[in-house]
Amino acid sequence: MRRSTAAVFGTLAGVGMIFGVRMAAPTQIVPVAEDAAAEAPADSGQDAPADEPADAPADDEGDAPADGGGAGGGLTDGEFRGTGSKYAYGTIQVTITVEDGKVSAADATYPTGGESATINPPAIEKLNESALTAENGDDVDAVSGATLTTEAYRKSLQAALDKAAG
Amino acid sequence: MGTAVSIELAADRAAPELRALIADVCGWLHEVDARFSTYKEDSEVSRMRRGELTSTGCHPDLRHVLGACADLWRATDGYFDAYYGGVLDPSGYVKGWAVAEASRRLVDAGCPTHFISAGGDIAARGDRVWRVGVRHPWDETKVAWKLAVRDAAVATSGTYERGGHVINPRTGKPARFLRSVTVTGPDLTLADAYATAALAMDREGLRYLEKLATDGYESAAVTEDGRAFTTPGLPVAT
Repeated sequence: MRRSTAAVFGTLAGVGMIFGVRMAAPTQIVPVAEDAAAEAPADSGQDAPADEPADAPADDEGDAPADGGGAGGGLTDGEFRGTGSKYAYGTIQVTITVEDGKVSAADATYPTGGESATINPPAIEKLNESALTAENGDDVDAVSGATLTTEAYRKSLQAALDKAAG
Repeated sequence: MGTAVSIELAADRAAPELRALIADVCGWLHEVDARFSTYKEDSEVSRMRRGELTSTGCHPDLRHVLGACADLWRATDGYFDAYYGGVLDPSGYVKGWAVAEASRRLVDAGCPTHFISAGGDIAARGDRVWRVGVRHPWDETKVAWKLAVRDAAVATSGTYERGGHVINPRTGKPARFLRSVTVTGPDLTLADAYATAALAMDREGLRYLEKLATDGYESAAVTEDGRAFTTPGLPVAT
């Protein structure tokens, strides 16, 4: 029987959540859906459907396990790989490990190289964010800016630099 | 174009020769302006807009620009659109291209080390490091970054000079998420077009800039709410 974490397929935020679970609390349980195909999670109607909506993963961390009834979580031990899920930047495939009826680890794999590599970590984090600084520009050769009019130019640092250069 | 141009030549040559080189560059830029201006009634672009000129009857430079704009439209998934609203306006391409061509002319004339800055589009060429400031998007007398570039182009697109002049073609509204985007890389024409396209993409622009880094185009962006983003490989001056 194949199981996969339906929750992670929805959004990149979902993927981040799974990583968080794995690193911070390896034995914590994440909700799982039964044999969830990526595009149609939790529709299999088997014995352990997801108890959380697939589109709201971010709040699920640390919640109760998928039903399965009682101690141990009712999941079958082993390693389960979800079907690949396609979205804008490639395909993601999630593997979960179940021990003692609980999800002990979740991992996601991506095709690497090309555009698809940009999803890990989520794209925007590849850019460094910092506080905007305002520096004196008197030691530069030129200034790049959206200076489009002669009036703007006249007031600009570039004009001062040109004057200084003689 | 109403754009100010700065030219610096680093060549050990007689002053009259340098003046002649600068005159040649200025002549070229005026020629471009006469042909591509959207403000001049008799420019080829204006005549094409009125249907008086076809792509077969126009100057080869205009044919080149139309082809390049079409390529960029595809390369940017429609975000770079020289026909937005059905009206031809290749200005977003022409400025960077005109400076790149001017730079090539200087190289051909035996002056490989120079910089040309036209409205903030900079070609910094030759075997030396040029220090290029990125204008602070709220203070025209300050810079937000200082870059050290060698034989590279730097282009900035921003909403701060002309307001919302870059339209997000997906929403039909002026792009507002990013206030300033600077792209540096080998080709000025592309750097300029990429900066404009990223600006037009709003929030998606940051993701787009990240992908450009794999093609050798590093970037810096400032959001409207004052956050600053850079690609890890941005050549910041020390």
